[in-house]
Amino acid sequence: MNIKEIKEMIALMNENNLLELEIEKEGMRIRLKKESPGSDESAKIVSVPQFSVTQEAASPQTQKEEAAKKLIEVKAPMVGTFYRSPSPESPPFVEVGQNIDAGQVVCIIEAMKLMNEIKSEVRGKLVEVLIENGHPVEFGQALFLIEPA
Amino acid sequence: MFSKILIANRGEIALRIIRACKELNIRTVAVYSEADRRSLHVRFADEAVCIGSGPSANSYLNIPSIISAAEITDVEAVHPGYGFLAENAHFAEICESCQIKFIGPSPHSIRLMGDKMVARETMRKAGLPITPGSTAMVKSKEEALRIAHRIKYPLIIKAAAGGGGKGMRICHNDVRLISALMTAQAEAEASFGNSDVYIEKYIDEPRHIEFQIVADKYGRVVHLRERDCSIQRRHQKLVEESPSPALDSKLRKKMGEMAIRGAKAVNYHNVGTMEFLLDKKGEFYFMEMNTRVQVEHPVTEMVTGIDLIKEQIKISAGEKLSFQQDDIKINGHAIECRINAEDPNNHFIPCPGKIETLNLPGGPNVRVDTHIYQGFTISPYYDSMLAKLIIHAKNRKEAIKSMKRALDEFIIEPIKTTIPFHKQVLDSQSFISGRFSTHFIENLLQESETEE
Repeated sequence: MNIKEIKEMIALMNENNLLELEIEKEGMRIRLKKESPGSDESAKIVSVPQFSVTQEAASPQTQKEEAAKKLIEVKAPMVGTFYRSPSPESPPFVEVGQNIDAGQVVCIIEAMKLMNEIKSEVRGKLVEVLIENGHPVEFGQALFLIEPA
Repeated sequence: MFSKILIANRGEIALRIIRACKELNIRTVAVYSEADRRSLHVRFADEAVCIGSGPSANSYLNIPSIISAAEITDVEAVHPGYGFLAENAHFAEICESCQIKFIGPSPHSIRLMGDKMVARETMRKAGLPITPGSTAMVKSKEEALRIAHRIKYPLIIKAAAGGGGKGMRICHNDVRLISALMTAQAEAEASFGNSDVYIEKYIDEPRHIEFQIVADKYGRVVHLRERDCSIQRRHQKLVEESPSPALDSKLRKKMGEMAIRGAKAVNYHNVGTMEFLLDKKGEFYFMEMNTRVQVEHPVTEMVTGIDLIKEQIKISAGEKLSFQQDDIKINGHAIECRINAEDPNNHFIPCPGKIETLNLPGGPNVRVDTHIYQGFTISPYYDSMLAKLIIHAKNRKEAIKSMKRALDEFIIEPIKTTIPFHKQVLDSQSFISGRFSTHFIENLLQESETEE
């Protein structure tokens, strides 16, 4: 994606009075969000934490599925460091495309030297992993996208 | 000096701390609840971490969440501000065990002065005058009656673990004493999880005079003069000023020396405040010590020229105090009005809501410490303070003039605020004359009722 295409996207949003627009192309996904007039003046708050992302590389498999169904986010219930496996040598708890049960452990968040197992609340298929292994996460941050069964 | 600090607070004080850090070239990390996502302290910090949902217990009082945030952002120190965890010795200890500096006094000092009864006894031993009263927790009705007959009515029953006016009961006779003892114990248990109470002589129409203490880790203790905080409603301060109209230089010297003596007796370091009660005869008594920076710190900053937050950070980083007692000169007069989102015409009930129109006062002599902005929504989870309006002028008369002018310029619509109430205070003869006690607001409200 280049500046010209992004400008076209913004023009598209303005013409059609859209507040949010998300486009995927060539393995890249861009989300543009506009604040509606009359909302809080501090709309210019940019995502401040250095570890949250506004651009995500979408895996090719998920494009069609996302378009079809509404996805559920698994959010971090605490602040800490995100790990995909129980230990550095083990395989990850879950992989993209895998079927997840409600109550299944999907990752670990380490906080104050304690390893906390985080469980999925929904049953479905893991569509995407949003955080890189070993990265810090804040309360409420989206970790996984699950397509509910 | 630290390279990165986490501010474990919100609102105006978080912003205040971020300002000091920026000027000291220290990177800042803000923590915020989901309700505070659009707060100014989040916007102006270098990094921000969401630590929980709106209610304080899940966020600003959530020690594991805050420590975790400190770890993932790799900070060297935490500034607790005031309220929340600022006087939580346990939190200070956890910081230390995680190799994070707690910007404040030692956990030991916090614990010692946090127990109001122990603090009284410690100060008494150090030679400070204290109000006559029980020397230990009052356990029984018989003991209460014995103390009452020894020190004579009126008396006040106070919670040992208390603060903010909770768990306090005033009594004028034996019958009231017994019922007050039981209700104070119940209230203390409910508010603080500790039903210990003690009894003090109730000083009639006292003034609340507090001395600002600054101490480094090398034993140097300096006081930055007094603040008169007698204008209180239900033990919550509304207007503060320095210098106090009630102190002459002789009394100031005496009280200042006592404040320093008290701080030295507990090997205090960082900033703190010694609170005294001053009676009509000019006698003063130690009441309690606050082991944190206070809401009204700007009043002292304006008249002494010393940045208290920067001093806190420097002291914590191991620097020596750059000034001595003789260097402290008073310059002019400062008054602060706490503007709260409360309706003064309806028992001061809190009024959260969205600020549609905001105009902050400006011009000469004006300082405004606030976290509000046009379009900001005041959430119901936290205290109702919106802003601190501080005036610094040549003398008290000029300060009152500027304050009245500034209050007229302060627009916060459509929220109900205490601005009209402050105007009333500044117009009253009692305030202008400088002759008032902690009964001031009570008297003022009664006067307005009789006029209606």
